[in-house]
Amino acid sequence: MQQLIDELKEKIISLLNLTDITPADFDEHARLVGGDLGIDSIDVLEMVVMVEKDYGVVINNQEVGEKVFASLASLAEYIRTHRSGAAA
Amino acid sequence: MTGLPVYIAAAGIISPLGRGLAATAQALRANVTAIAPLEIFPLLQGEPLPVGQVRDLDLDPALPRTHLLAREAARMTMRDVIEPPEAIILGCTTGGILTTEQLLRDKVGDCRAYRYHGLASVVEDVAALTGCRGPALTVSTACSSSAAAIALAVAMLRRGRLQRILVGGVDSLSHLTYFGFHSLQLVDRQGCRPLDVTRQGMSVAEGAAMLLLTTRRPDRPLAVMLGAGLSCDAYHPTAPHPEGRGAVQAMQAALADAGLAAAAIDYINLHGTGTPDNDLAEARAVTALFPLPPPLSSIKGATGHSLAAAGAIEAVAAILTLRHGLVPGTVGCRQSDPALGLTPQLTPTDHPVRTVLSNSFGFGGNNGCLVIGREDTGGGASGPTVRAPLAVHGCACLTGGGAARETLARLAAGRAVAGMPAAEAIAAHLPPRLVRRAKRLNRLALALAVASHADSGGRDTPAAVFLGTGWGALTETYDFLDRLETSGEQFPSPTDFVGSVHNAAAGQVAIHFGATAANVTTSGGDYSFEQALLAADSLLEASGQSALLLGVDEGHEPLSSRLDPSVAAGRPLADGGGAFVVNRDPVNARCLIRLAFYEQDEGDATVNRLVQAVAGPDCAAVLAGIPAAEAERGRRQLASFLKGCNRQVPVCDYRPLLGQFASASAVAAALAAICLGRGMLPGALVGGSDIPLEAGSRIVVVGTGRCLTAIECRRP
Repeated sequence: MQQLIDELKEKIISLLNLTDITPADFDEHARLVGGDLGIDSIDVLEMVVMVEKDYGVVINNQEVGEKVFASLASLAEYIRTHRSGAAA
Repeated sequence: MTGLPVYIAAAGIISPLGRGLAATAQALRANVTAIAPLEIFPLLQGEPLPVGQVRDLDLDPALPRTHLLAREAARMTMRDVIEPPEAIILGCTTGGILTTEQLLRDKVGDCRAYRYHGLASVVEDVAALTGCRGPALTVSTACSSSAAAIALAVAMLRRGRLQRILVGGVDSLSHLTYFGFHSLQLVDRQGCRPLDVTRQGMSVAEGAAMLLLTTRRPDRPLAVMLGAGLSCDAYHPTAPHPEGRGAVQAMQAALADAGLAAAAIDYINLHGTGTPDNDLAEARAVTALFPLPPPLSSIKGATGHSLAAAGAIEAVAAILTLRHGLVPGTVGCRQSDPALGLTPQLTPTDHPVRTVLSNSFGFGGNNGCLVIGREDTGGGASGPTVRAPLAVHGCACLTGGGAARETLARLAAGRAVAGMPAAEAIAAHLPPRLVRRAKRLNRLALALAVASHADSGGRDTPAAVFLGTGWGALTETYDFLDRLETSGEQFPSPTDFVGSVHNAAAGQVAIHFGATAANVTTSGGDYSFEQALLAADSLLEASGQSALLLGVDEGHEPLSSRLDPSVAAGRPLADGGGAFVVNRDPVNARCLIRLAFYEQDEGDATVNRLVQAVAGPDCAAVLAGIPAAEAERGRRQLASFLKGCNRQVPVCDYRPLLGQFASASAVAAALAAICLGRGMLPGALVGGSDIPLEAGSRIVVVGTGRCLTAIECRRP
């Protein structure tokens, strides 16, 4: 799980071009959207695409999305439980 | 009313509802939807989403769909009109992109194949079709494009110099917009259902509509354009301000322009796209301004959302409402959303209507509202408005040589500055958060805006933004299409789509400065900055407002050499731009700036008129822009112009120095403004000795090629 979290930190920093933070600064429990990182609705959609492309996990419902993108940790948890071949 | 009455003399429309006013009225009366699953291009996978497509369009292998739609609407509008329009203004967001997408997939490298890509190619085609010799302008403010185009036309007509402008909007369906809006999760899989409690988005559509506007009262005008208002949310690249702040401002501006109180509006044609956010924000704006709203509806459940054409299509719908007392229903809305607090008209009714308010809102927070009346309400038509010239209080440029100071120093030393400014240099003074999603064009624009504002002393916060770009955000456009293709149409990037719209840069600038007044992006190939200057001079209010005026283009491999015929394949690219802080206050201004001339080239007669417009003893120097693709014609035009001046005028052929890019004239104008402020033009620029510039001295930036243009910069 920690490995997935670390991987997501790297991916999101690169994907959203968050050049002013490092993976070490990235608090996986902090509010992901609308918080200090300046991540907004367009970034969420970009992350939705990344999650589907890289992990095969589809998030196409706004209500689910709001829970999933609450924090990086919740995103990692959602991916872990929904990716194909995930241990049931 | 703040000037001459503006009549709608004729109109044409082609939309998913059909061809012509009668067919459109019939479809609106039948209250049926034209939205259906996409058919005009095949998909690699998945069920086609519902869209609004124009049926039975006679295809022509030589012309993109957009051009065909525009031609149909223009022919229809001008059918019974004898005199050609003196100017044309079209709203358009994607030009010939559907054809370009195929060319890129086929790896076609020949730039001639891409000659109908540019937004400008559509309006130029219409100008040729209708015999228009004057300016042919394109406004690209996303989904408010044609409402903004109409607002610009009204402002230009009221200045009194022109009497007939053909104005409208056009867009065709394309992969870019089909997948782009889908990637933003803004598309309703069930088809657009505006204001419905279960609405889930829009349906992307296509179409074209045009109006012939005139200040000379026709025998039987279709309607009267009573007022127009523009604003910018300056809030977010795509989402509307949640309270509809900018929408309120634009509606208020349109009402004030028409000299009408809100209570005088008989019907509101809503923007009503069917996205949850738009409809909610618009409802809040409407209820804030209209305690008891008049009948209102959205026709987008019938037509779909034809993007840049929507404002003009709905202006035609407003004409039908006014002339036939036909209040359209809201097709697709079965149960209106109680959260909106509105009671939309669900089915059409017959009801006499004297005045219509028509709303159009778009990405970049761009809002355009129109007030259209059955007849002239007669409120004090006071003749043409008189305005002070635009005064430049700050300016900046970026070239391969760097910022203004370095650029001018290099040029003064007799060296060229053509090239691409380094990415680090562009972003050097910009906060990382501000530019993290911005690619090259949007960064260039932000850097220029910030630098020109700093140069003005930073006292005034600019309220309005006018930006000209020949080719828009090429990196985002290319990246979006590339990822769409390489991912088998599975993973298009929403960020690239948002960044790819021509007005993304001006929208970012507005957010950064909190600029909530008019926000207009123009795109006219080599004359894009000239068009932005004309828009600024026409739309910037006389009272106190400052504006940022920019011209900017990016060099992109491989797109620039394919799209811009002046960019030779394999040669080093050049890009950059110029920016100005302008207002109407001449005190302490660096210079005064105006567009002194803009006509399509028709040989010696046009050159003679250019000479009449700008030659004179106080013309200290001419900076001439000759696009490489028009080298022969441009040199001939310039020689003929200089001959006409009847004296030795120092001349700088600036493109070899600044680089071949569409908005190089913005750099030339910035250099002119800086030199006028300093009181001296370096001799190296004109191959002679330094030229002193005194009060009243003018530098004229002449544009050559398909059009002849002149930007006049004068020392006050």
